[in-house]
Amino acid sequence: MDWIRILLTRISSLLHRRQLDADLDDELRAHIDLAIAENLNRGMPPEDARIAALRAFGGITQTREAYRNQRGFPIFSQGIGDLRFALRQLRKSPGFSLTAILTLALGIGAVTSVFTVVNGVLLKPFAFRDPGQLVVVREVEDEIRSHAASIPDNYRHYLRLKQTSRTLEDAAIFQEHGVGISPDGNRPNLVGALDASSNFFRILGVQPILGRDFAETDSVKGAPPVVLLSYSGWQTFLQGNPKVIGQTMTIGGFPATVIGVLPPGFRFPHLSLAPWIASGPSREIEIFEPLTLNDFTLKQDAGAFNFNVIARLKTGVSLSQAQTELDTLQKAYTLSAHLPIHLGIALTPFTQDVASGISGALWVLLAAVGAVLLIACVNLANLQLARAVSSEREIAVRAALGASKFRLVWARLTESILLACMGGAAGIALAFSGVRLLVTLVPSDVPRLHEVQVNSPVLLFAVAVSIAAALLFGILPALRSLRVHPQAALQANSSRTVNTQEGRQTRSVLIGAQVACTIVLLIVTALALRSFSRLLHQDRGFDSSHVTLAQVDLFAPQYDDKLPNVKAVKLAFADRALAALARLPGVQSVALTSAAPLTGETWVDDLTRPDHPVADGKRPMINVRWIDPEYLSTMQTPLVAGRNISAGDRANPYVALISETTARQGFPGENPIGRKLSDIVPDDSHFVTVIGVVADTHINGLRDSSPMVYLPYWAYTPWTLSFLVRSSQSSTALIPEIRRTLWGLDPQVTIPTLLSMDQQVSDSVATDRFQAVVLASFGAAGLFLALLGVYGVLAYSVSLRQQEFGIRIALGSGKAALMRLVLLQAAYPVFAGAGIGLALALLTVRWIRSLLYQTPVLDPLAIGCSILLLFATAAVAALVPARHAASIDPMRALRTD
Amino acid sequence: MSENKSDVLQGTLDLMILKTVESMGTLHGYAIARRIEQVSDNAFSINQGTIYPALLRLEQRGWIKSEWGMTETNRRARFYSLSRIGRKKIEEETENWERIAATMARFLTPSN
Repeated sequence: MDWIRILLTRISSLLHRRQLDADLDDELRAHIDLAIAENLNRGMPPEDARIAALRAFGGITQTREAYRNQRGFPIFSQGIGDLRFALRQLRKSPGFSLTAILTLALGIGAVTSVFTVVNGVLLKPFAFRDPGQLVVVREVEDEIRSHAASIPDNYRHYLRLKQTSRTLEDAAIFQEHGVGISPDGNRPNLVGALDASSNFFRILGVQPILGRDFAETDSVKGAPPVVLLSYSGWQTFLQGNPKVIGQTMTIGGFPATVIGVLPPGFRFPHLSLAPWIASGPSREIEIFEPLTLNDFTLKQDAGAFNFNVIARLKTGVSLSQAQTELDTLQKAYTLSAHLPIHLGIALTPFTQDVASGISGALWVLLAAVGAVLLIACVNLANLQLARAVSSEREIAVRAALGASKFRLVWARLTESILLACMGGAAGIALAFSGVRLLVTLVPSDVPRLHEVQVNSPVLLFAVAVSIAAALLFGILPALRSLRVHPQAALQANSSRTVNTQEGRQTRSVLIGAQVACTIVLLIVTALALRSFSRLLHQDRGFDSSHVTLAQVDLFAPQYDDKLPNVKAVKLAFADRALAALARLPGVQSVALTSAAPLTGETWVDDLTRPDHPVADGKRPMINVRWIDPEYLSTMQTPLVAGRNISAGDRANPYVALISETTARQGFPGENPIGRKLSDIVPDDSHFVTVIGVVADTHINGLRDSSPMVYLPYWAYTPWTLSFLVRSSQSSTALIPEIRRTLWGLDPQVTIPTLLSMDQQVSDSVATDRFQAVVLASFGAAGLFLALLGVYGVLAYSVSLRQQEFGIRIALGSGKAALMRLVLLQAAYPVFAGAGIGLALALLTVRWIRSLLYQTPVLDPLAIGCSILLLFATAAVAALVPARHAASIDPMRALRTD
Repeated sequence: MSENKSDVLQGTLDLMILKTVESMGTLHGYAIARRIEQVSDNAFSINQGTIYPALLRLEQRGWIKSEWGMTETNRRARFYSLSRIGRKKIEEETENWERIAATMARFLTPSN
């Protein structure tokens, strides 16, 4: 316990240092007096007595110093001293200090802002029990692996795995969908709903705050329908009524009993069915219902891959152990059950899976903003070096007085740390608004955006970044003070003449590093911009301008699957809607399709030909769309061969249009017109005749060009209809009209999507745009900083060499020669840096390959433009000091100093 | 410190101070320094000044305590005396020191 007492006495001694100093002086004086008195007693002469006493004592100053060190915290009080000194120095050059603090504030602010988003979206664990043990389970179908890395889950496979696995604690299966909710059943809003197995919340470790969790019996066929509400759903739909348990609520037109309300912090994120299936507009999930299964699903063993599965690993089981076990189990089952396809299992950690769509873009942005900060730090290091040169004399004096190397380095480093602390604090303040700005730029379907906020991990990160920045830009100038030779420095008549050669080399290296960093940043930015531009300007195969999209979901009792005449009812609604929309003012054409454009692949099926049997798994995968005859003209998708669907086909609707890729894959070397397809219309055994080939389009998404098969909606009318209205009127004017028209036909349908097709296209590339915009601004910032860096170093070096230039001019050197001299000084590090940067870029760009669309990572245009832009910037930055050097007045330059 | 004065191990000086205060009772710094010089017969020629940081160290640990008082010649000085903890510690430290000394002795005397 000694150390506590010692610590306390030391701390208390800090508080009344003066008094203790006086006491010590008294005590030492008493000692000397007593010694002198004794010496006098022994008969020494007074002067000798005094000298002898002092000699026996030793150094009074040293004793005092040793005593003080024992008494307080020597490092601490030295640190305070250094800090005071650094503050004074910074106050003496406010221009430098402000520049440095501002640069750091912007740099650290930007890095912290991006990290805040990364932390909230990618890193922060979910508020579930032990979220690290949660995994998403998907199946893998070997036959289509090249096309789809994983596929959704089959219910029977889920059951088998759940029962046989030894690595899983438990697994839950669920399906996300939308349901219409409204107080009176009319004009419902579409909200997110999840049908889940009864153990779903137990796996997540979440308990309702009101009522009860699902029970096994709730999932049994014929059990009374029950519902659990999210906290916000409870607030919105039932006004937070505490007596809600047992009440009935109408969901999608059907009554269900409310059995529980979930805690306010609980939000379940959207999980994609598979990575290649786009999610569509993400909705907060407010409704949780027990999963009940139809007989079709329960029977299917090689189809009905329609579910998501999450599982909790047993404690101590690693992801790869579970992956191996489940994959082996599934492969063995595929063989033993003689399934026509080969299945495996793919596990992904839950948190990673949720953010898989945005994580690549976010990491690249963090790296890019880190590069910007790095470039800024190099600028500051240059400034600090220049200051270190001018404070060489002070360092020399310190060294001559016996300061240790550590103290010398530390004294200079203190200034950098102080700057970084102030810059960091300002940066954190900036980050609060930076995060807000970023969140408005980030595509709105990014999961957990509401959780993005500056919190303690973010603050810790900002502090770490600040310290790292201080070391980065402060260590070189600080270490430089070790090389100061006191004698040389003190003898020199001007600090300018000392060490210029050496300083110049260091500065060249820094310029090179900065240029290298900037080149990498520019190339990555250029690639992202090229990719984005290609995405936007490619031939899409459709024209979105002047088209308004309205999606209608027929989720109401009158469209219930179990009704005998449901087909006719759906068909009638589609017909009436097409006719009514066509009557709106300014409408040129109205079309129908089963899937809203740009929402990814849906209704994926294999292409089956009765005349040409192909083994299971070898058949081409296609997307099926149910359209009307106006679809091609409304979307302005060209017909390549054959004929379009026409009104005459209504009586015998078993005709199909296929896309060029489908024709190529399904009918290689054949003319597909007139050929038959089978197993394509649900619950219908008719063969379908191919009557035409249409151009390939990016209708599923601008990055996607899946093979398509289009059939008339008369053969099958889906529950989800997307109407496309081409009109001379603006979408803004049209949207309320369309809503009024559709709800005029049936007020009980939901209209989850109603917007201009241009908007839909723009929303679909939100991630790419976000990446391009933010990267471009970081690239511009990096380039600007590099410009400042090159300019600053050259201008400084010209100012140091004024005398030399003056002499050169006096000796008859021409202006052009002087300019060349300065430009060359810049050219070496810029070219070397560009070379290194290029090499670095070649190494790093492969990381972003997956983020690029049809853009090779070695795109010559992107790389060439980046290099040219950098050289042009460097030339501009170098010309100003070069011209200055050439215009030096020799008389004046020689007279100074 | 000049070269002909042998450096004194920190713990050694501490123990010498403790023993001095134990045997002589309350003493001021100068008296402690003189006593150590006399007892050691000037074998350890320490600078008298070095005892002050040592005194402070011992006081911080609570092994000795100090108060201001008057010398026989009516000079104001700080007087040091052993505390209760110090009295206990002295035994421990003595044993420690003897163990070290014995071990050293075994190294230094040739074995036969």
